[in-house]
Amino acid sequence: MIGETTLLASAFVVPLGMLLACLWPPALNRMPSLLAFAPIPALLAVLLVASDSSLAIGSARFRLTFALDRPGAMLLGVAALLWIASGAYASQYLQGRPNRGRFVVCWLMTLTGCLGVFLAADMVGFYFLLALLTLGACGLVIYHETPSAWRAGAVYIGLALLAESLLLMAFVLLAAQIPGDSLLIRDAAAALPTSPQRDLILALLMAGFGMKAGLVPFHFWMPLAYSAAPTPASAVLSGAVVKASILGMIRFLPLETALPDWGTALAAAGLFAALYGVVIGITQRNPRVVLAYSSVSQMGFIVAVIGMGMLAGDGRAALAAAFYAAHHVLVKGALFLSVGVIAATGSRRLWPMLLPAAIIAVGLGGLPLTGGALAKFVADELLGDGPASTIATLSSVGTTLLMLQFLRSLAKSASQDPQATAAAGLVWPWLATAVVSLVVPWTLYLTVPSGTLPDPLSPAVLWKALWPVLLGAVLAIALWRWWRSLPRIPKGDIIVALDGGMQIAVTWGKALGQMDRFLRQWPAAGVSLLMVTIALGAAVFAR
Amino acid sequence: MPDANVLPDATTTDGALLVLAIVLPAAGVLLSFVLGGRYAERIASVLLPSGLFLATIIFADVWQSGHPLIYIVGDWKPPLGIALRADGLSAAMMVAMAIVICAVAIFAHADFGTRPGSVEARAPFAFWILLMAIWGAMNMVFLGGDLFTLYVAIELLTFAAVPLVCLDGRAETLQAALRYLLFALLGSILYLVGTALLYGSYATLDIVLLSRQVRMEPATLVAATLMTIGLFAKTALFPLHLWLPPAHAGAPAAASAVLSAVVVKGSFFIVVRLWFDVMPGMLGAAGAQLFGALGAAAIVFGSVVALQQQRLKLLIAYSTVAQIGYLFLMFPLALDTAAQLQGGGALTGGMLQAISHATAKAAMFMAAGLIYATLGHDRIAELGGAARALPMTIFAFALGGVSLIGLPPSGGFLAKWLLLEAAVATGQWWWAIVMLAGGLFTSGYMFIVLSSAVAPSSEPLKLRVAVPRYQEAAALALALTSLLLGLVALGPVDILLVGRPDSMMVGPR
Repeated sequence: MIGETTLLASAFVVPLGMLLACLWPPALNRMPSLLAFAPIPALLAVLLVASDSSLAIGSARFRLTFALDRPGAMLLGVAALLWIASGAYASQYLQGRPNRGRFVVCWLMTLTGCLGVFLAADMVGFYFLLALLTLGACGLVIYHETPSAWRAGAVYIGLALLAESLLLMAFVLLAAQIPGDSLLIRDAAAALPTSPQRDLILALLMAGFGMKAGLVPFHFWMPLAYSAAPTPASAVLSGAVVKASILGMIRFLPLETALPDWGTALAAAGLFAALYGVVIGITQRNPRVVLAYSSVSQMGFIVAVIGMGMLAGDGRAALAAAFYAAHHVLVKGALFLSVGVIAATGSRRLWPMLLPAAIIAVGLGGLPLTGGALAKFVADELLGDGPASTIATLSSVGTTLLMLQFLRSLAKSASQDPQATAAAGLVWPWLATAVVSLVVPWTLYLTVPSGTLPDPLSPAVLWKALWPVLLGAVLAIALWRWWRSLPRIPKGDIIVALDGGMQIAVTWGKALGQMDRFLRQWPAAGVSLLMVTIALGAAVFAR
Repeated sequence: MPDANVLPDATTTDGALLVLAIVLPAAGVLLSFVLGGRYAERIASVLLPSGLFLATIIFADVWQSGHPLIYIVGDWKPPLGIALRADGLSAAMMVAMAIVICAVAIFAHADFGTRPGSVEARAPFAFWILLMAIWGAMNMVFLGGDLFTLYVAIELLTFAAVPLVCLDGRAETLQAALRYLLFALLGSILYLVGTALLYGSYATLDIVLLSRQVRMEPATLVAATLMTIGLFAKTALFPLHLWLPPAHAGAPAAASAVLSAVVVKGSFFIVVRLWFDVMPGMLGAAGAQLFGALGAAAIVFGSVVALQQQRLKLLIAYSTVAQIGYLFLMFPLALDTAAQLQGGGALTGGMLQAISHATAKAAMFMAAGLIYATLGHDRIAELGGAARALPMTIFAFALGGVSLIGLPPSGGFLAKWLLLEAAVATGQWWWAIVMLAGGLFTSGYMFIVLSSAVAPSSEPLKLRVAVPRYQEAAALALALTSLLLGLVALGPVDILLVGRPDSMMVGPR
């Protein structure tokens, strides 16, 4: 249908058009107040477009295709909601700040890339939008231009481009496996299990998406970037943008085919990250850094769900992971926005502001009746009864603990001025996101057929969700008791090792530089000329 | 399917256009000498756009017909006479180079423009004549149908390029130009010796005739080796790059743009002609791997050294050293199982890389020139505030970088994709690693420059001159061309393969 494809196209064409309009200075000046409108077509597309319509541009040999599949639609919908709310927040946030133009351009780049990735059905389009997203996100991270922001931006873009190089290699390998000229991700995933280079491709895909998802040991960019970026940018980066990697895994990895070795590896890496994020996170004092480590943990958990699906060849993992991710989009976005709101709120008005944050924060740990409990409930099916389930429960306890630590650091970060109140333009988008994060998971659960799950409201299920939360709360009290004896871990923990690596790299680079200077002297160049001549002569004569 | 082995002895309709493409620049040069320096710019401003128009017509012609254009000069058939041929490669390169040269001409108006009533000055006079000479020489490189015409073309190219390096007459640029001249001369001698050897063996230098007769014998192999090394020296392929950084970094911005974007592609194009068209079966696996190894070394060395540069123009020059390396990766990747060089994805990728680098690098040198003119220096660490003073310029520089890194939708991305695809198809994963690593290095030095340019300046910026808007526009237009070049993949036909003996491509579908 023409109407549906138009709507589908408008989901990323409207933000792209707004981005291009920024070249015109008057439009750029107006743009900060329009940010919230850019994602609306995407939301409409999710609500109105049937899941099987697609849009193709190009020739038979190279074709860009956009389509909505169910996990993509789910993530696109919630991402659009978060982008709308954060856009509204950003409009207020930007008032009176310098460099608004640059923020807006980077924002729209990231937005176009983020929404586009959820729609891209072919590898070239996916890669293009991922690259656009990376560049935009890097611009958002360095917005404040402090030394730590520059460092975070450099680390972010370096790792992201490394990940994208690995992905590009994987995509090219996949393109060679697909019979015919198709570049569709669907065909690539179908060709993958029987491909002779299956293991190499899987390794590249997992490494590439794993870096983008912040799997340990590639997690260090998250605390740096999320604490450096402006609040609304942190919200969308940690909520929506990072889910591109999850969607990539869902789309590219052959979940219908059981690949026990790779599945185990992925699940183990994910579960390790789920616990690691908690352990490092509870030692942190900056609420944004705590949230970033919570992201490490939560992303690890989602990856583990995908890994368990791969292990068992269970295609339901796609939807379960997308559902869990969708919940995380909204909650993490809302929590990051709350950091900005609380920082502008004085002690007098603190509690009404802190309470909604507390509910959704503990919900992330699985507080019954919240979306978090529901997400864990859906994921539980896939984790089975083995060690994975135990680790999941542990992660639930840990997440509660981490979230309580977040709330504690959040309360401490409130404004010094007791009378201070956050601007309504900041509070409303945040509250809306918080409410949506409670409502939407239930709506999704009730509208998207997800098989025959037991009743999520039965007492057994509720208790199963509740006791880890209670245990987490008890542990939090213990934690604060012995708080002072905890080691102080710098944010980004293992990045310290990276600095050492940089030293070595610089030494090597200098050595190459000296060699270059040597080679560019006449005698050396003459010898080079002679040697290359001899080498080429020998090579052609050797045949 | 068209007759792929087109006979060398038939002038096609519109073949005369090829003569025009060579005569026009030559006439421009002569006319400038006759009328004097004050008219040189005016002559160039008429002839260069018409050259672009001509190239476009030739391109459209080749695309439409799916056959190469041929002109037999004076109706004397090779081996006695000279043939001019425009296949897909030549047509595409001609258009790309004409675009770059036209943009450079617009850009150069500010620095080398002749004001009405002014007296004749040496630098503008030389610049416009040299620019037209380079344009003519490049057309000759692309169209020349025999190896001696190519020799003449490459000599003309060198002798037009060397003075561009030292237009300002400073001691250090003179030294750089001399370095360039000497090394290029060495290359010329090697090439000439190779040509003589070939002529002695086969009594013809016509590309099509040679390709039919060429045999595996010592004289041929020695000739091919010498010619190739000579061309390597002129292309500044690592480790024969000693002349490039000082020459390209020292020249005026417009000249640097031409040198980096256009001139090095001339000798590279002859390498392609030599191995793909004259003797596709001779290079062999070992030779192709050597080409690739030199290219890979260029990528690693050039990029790592670029990362350490303190000055912007030197950084860009080293980036050229690295990007030249990419061009030579196509040789091992184009080798088929019978050790023949095949025109296919790898060749298309390599030529696309050449075009995309030409447009991007010209834009970056222009941007660097504008930054230099505005700030009075090009020390990377002190670029703070440049983004505020010259937003369009920095944007153009960044877009050029996007193409160099190989992010979609740039031409660099499509080239990388095609080359990676060829690497996968031929099982040569090591070149894939080099290509991907090169992209990361490139993003490293782009980040260094851009972060420095975006940062606020420590002290209030003293702008030396207000840069004319059209100069910024010229740089931006080239950068945009490079960025959108990847979209040609959405088009229907692969023009680069027109006229290749082994191509399966036909006209527009």
